[in-house]
Amino acid sequence: MIKTIANLQIGEKAFIEKLCLDNIPLKLLEMGCLPGIEVQLIQKAPMQDPLYIKVNGSHLAIRRETAEKITIIK
Amino acid sequence: MKNNKDVKVALIGNPNTGKTSLFNQLTGLKQKVGNYPGITVEKKLGICKLNDSVKAEVTDLPGTYSINPTSLDETLVLDTLLNEKNNSFPDVVVVVVEIENIKRNLLLFTQIKDLKIPTILVINMIDQMKRKGIDINVNELEEKLNTKIVLASARKNVGIEELKEVILDYKKLDTTSIGKITDKIDKEYFTKLKNAFPEFTLYKSWLLITQNNEFEFLNDNQKKLVLKFREDLGCIKRYQHKETIFRYQIINNVLKSSFKIDKSKASDLRGILDRILTHKIFGYVIFALILLFIFQGIFDWATYPMDIIDGAFASLSSWTKSILPPGTFTNLLAEGIVPGIGGVVIFIPQIAILFTFISILEETGYMSRVVFLMDKIMRKFGMSGKSVIPLISGTACSIPAIMASRNISSWKERLITILVIPFTTCSARLPVYAILIALIIPDKRVLGILNLQGLTMMALYLLGFTAAIFSAILLNAVLKIESKSLFVIEMPNYKIPSLKNIFYEVVEKTKAFVFGAGKIILAISIVLWFLASNGPSTFKNSEQIVTSKIENANLSEDILQKKVASFKLEHSYIGYMGKSIEPMIKPMGYDWKIGIALISSFAAREVFVGALATIYNVDNDAENSGTIKERMAAEVNPNTGKSRFDFPTGISLLLFYAFAMQCIGTLAIVKRETNSWKWPILQLVGMGILAYVSAVLAFNIFS
Amino acid sequence: MQDILTYIVLGLAIGFLVKKYIFKTKNNDKCDTDCGC
Repeated sequence: MIKTIANLQIGEKAFIEKLCLDNIPLKLLEMGCLPGIEVQLIQKAPMQDPLYIKVNGSHLAIRRETAEKITIIK
Repeated sequence: MKNNKDVKVALIGNPNTGKTSLFNQLTGLKQKVGNYPGITVEKKLGICKLNDSVKAEVTDLPGTYSINPTSLDETLVLDTLLNEKNNSFPDVVVVVVEIENIKRNLLLFTQIKDLKIPTILVINMIDQMKRKGIDINVNELEEKLNTKIVLASARKNVGIEELKEVILDYKKLDTTSIGKITDKIDKEYFTKLKNAFPEFTLYKSWLLITQNNEFEFLNDNQKKLVLKFREDLGCIKRYQHKETIFRYQIINNVLKSSFKIDKSKASDLRGILDRILTHKIFGYVIFALILLFIFQGIFDWATYPMDIIDGAFASLSSWTKSILPPGTFTNLLAEGIVPGIGGVVIFIPQIAILFTFISILEETGYMSRVVFLMDKIMRKFGMSGKSVIPLISGTACSIPAIMASRNISSWKERLITILVIPFTTCSARLPVYAILIALIIPDKRVLGILNLQGLTMMALYLLGFTAAIFSAILLNAVLKIESKSLFVIEMPNYKIPSLKNIFYEVVEKTKAFVFGAGKIILAISIVLWFLASNGPSTFKNSEQIVTSKIENANLSEDILQKKVASFKLEHSYIGYMGKSIEPMIKPMGYDWKIGIALISSFAAREVFVGALATIYNVDNDAENSGTIKERMAAEVNPNTGKSRFDFPTGISLLLFYAFAMQCIGTLAIVKRETNSWKWPILQLVGMGILAYVSAVLAFNIFS
Repeated sequence: MQDILTYIVLGLAIGFLVKKYIFKTKNNDKCDTDCGC
């Protein structure tokens, strides 16, 4: 099963595998979401949306629909 | 006084880096906020004395994460830095970063360096360095980044003087870029680009072709070339991705040796606070409690200054009349202008208090957590988590609230937010609600503790919010607007709020209300006064006509004057206007006198109360609820013989004021923020219909 | 005299309102949807 950031459990860490060019706006990369970077899920809002993550030293919140487009590997 | 020796400085950086604090420290009160021509973003300019002979003109540009913009105010940063002929084009750029997020902050820095503008790096919040276990090798960093670094803490006033000195010497700054990124991406492509625009820095040319905008300052030939390059969109996207990756690689390399964090020293206060404040249950409970506290505060603490202001302006009005020679202009001053200004000033306490609370919540970092908690819910209504703050602000005044919606990146979500904000119960509605409730709701207690009048007030607030939500849902379903955009918010670290920043912010927001709404309210007050004090020939002969009609020759002077005044009002221009709309408003249970008050409310909703006072001839300086209320209670409906302000009419008026779009100031702002007349007209008509229908229904149901 | 002053102020008020609402300000057509690109 392809795992994405949306599949992480609270506190779990992983590495970003890929961000598809056409789906992901440049801004997300500019905020530090790059392939190979470690990402950790800090908190989930009710209904698992948005997701509060720590990535590349930044603390960000993104919507589930965006998180589902970022694949991860352990 | 502007001087050719003045240095133009642009302040740039990520949001939450303390850039505003730095700006405040450099410029103090010598700031002004204006508008960039044509767009709604505000220009923050300030003057800073660098030394005895040289001044700096500092522009605080909107916070941005990258030079590639994703919102209107970020576009401003790009425009400022690309257009050399522009007035605001800086001599030197000061990029502000802060120690905790320095990696991400530096992305913007490397981009600006590539534009070859003299750049200074300010590392802010160094007072936190020890606590976070951070150690910086400044010399090594300066060398690797080709720049001059100033360590600062804007809050503690550290590094400011040093920064001023470095700015003075800006001409000595090295403008070579860091690392040859363009070579790494695709040497051939970029050589072609360089040759196409030999007059520009390579990175500038790259920015010209990667954006969606048309740049006005290019000549026709350049514009054509730009379009040509933009044809290969896929290529551009790929290269932008690569550019970002390479930039981060460079930043990582640079920081590896010169920036060290001893993780064991860092405290996890943020983690603990986050767990509580974003908790599934407690997060919302805490938010609700905070909201309750804020509303309580607004009601309790604002009443005292409001009463003082009310009394002061009433006195000013009578004083004006007494010391100036009698005549129309004196009347205009005392009855039109002074009350008009008073009507604006009286809301400053409420607005200031609300914005102080909001500002504190923003400064501490808590607001991002609120956005996080509320986003999913708000999306169900077609809005964003970022809409929460504007909606709450709407309970003070719609005007600054609508302006606060600018940081919502999705146009559809932003538009819906702007359109529904006026439904929230703004301060101006309260005086109307208060007097009507006092008239038609009994002062009783329900269940022993709950005051019926208080409950009604709360119900009206709820009504406002409910109307906002339902309209949002409706608009979301009906509006076919394509808008795909990314929702990303930074969750900044918790900070103790800076009183200085809060002060400046509240002053700015209050000014927005005073000048945005204020000027319009004053102008309309003047016009309305004129319409009420003048009329065709019948008006001019009022005294004669009334006296000749009197049967009882022993009427006291006082009563006679009151009769004349009443006759005058009925035959003034505004009286005729009231009479002419009477057929339309009769179904709602109103008469032409209420009609006059309704028309006057177009200046500002609360004018309703003052207008009624005039209409029912209450003495000018007894404009307190007690007297007006008694007078209103005594007014009789000639058709039914019963009280004019009975329950059905009262409810009808309450609903009308809850829903009708009467605030011309708001319409002006909506037009400006949406760049079109379509939306304010939609608001006016839509809300008007809702108000009319509900008022008619209520009047008929309760009669 | 008083009447003249009154009419001047009235004229200014009306002029201001007309300018604000009738006069079409220069629109910035560059970005009226979000610049999400």
